Amino acid sequence: MSSKPRLSSALDGQAPDFGSVTAHAADLMGHFFALYGEFWQNGVVAPQLKELVRLRNARVTDCGY
Amino acid sequence: MPNPLVNLVPGNPSALEAALANRPELLSHYRSFYLKLWHGGLVPVRVLELCRLRIAFIHGATAELAVRHRQAGVADLERDALARMDFSVFSDAEQAALTLAELMPHQHHAIDDAQVDRVRQLFGESGTVNLLAALAFFDVTSRLKLVWALPEEGLEFDGTKLV
Repeated sequence: MSSKPRLSSALDGQAPDFGSVTAHAADLMGHFFALYGEFWQNGVVAPQLKELVRLRNARVTDCGY
Repeated sequence: MPNPLVNLVPGNPSALEAALANRPELLSHYRSFYLKLWHGGLVPVRVLELCRLRIAFIHGATAELAVRHRQAGVADLERDALARMDFSVFSDAEQAALTLAELMPHQHHAIDDAQVDRVRQLFGESGTVNLLAALAFFDVTSRLKLVWALPEEGLEFDGTKLV
């Protein structure tokens, strides 16, 4: 796995990160962020449990980001 | 035995839509994003379909493999080639995308700079964002269908709803 970003930032003056890289497809990612926000903000699963699951998933997939 | 996840919606939705309808707002956003992945104009539909099928083969996701997408123009012989991981019959661009699709489900750390750079050259940065997001969600969709034990419906994907 690369230690440097493989795609550039689409936002002037901003370093490559998840938001600035995916901004290359801003219309598409607008739908993604709406979906991701829905995951987090609503539903019957407690936010604390969602965060535990997110962290465990990041560990299992070995994602340090 | 009926799947309790898919019994809550009147009418005749697909099993995936019926399952997600347990959280209607989640269904709405999932549908909007997934359909945009296909029809944003950044990656050819045929390339996406080849990748969707290959990821479904990797997972052995029979419910996902049963989905038909005639508009994408993937012939039965090409589908057979995907099943046996023979990418030689596909174009350079299709092979570049399939290389990433092959690694995304279980070997994402094996994706290297050259493979991503090749895709970036072929599809541009916006297309690469679209393709990689699509690969991730093809993976998600196969996994959901397996974990939720959704049935093989053999429905046509027409770009208007989840199947």
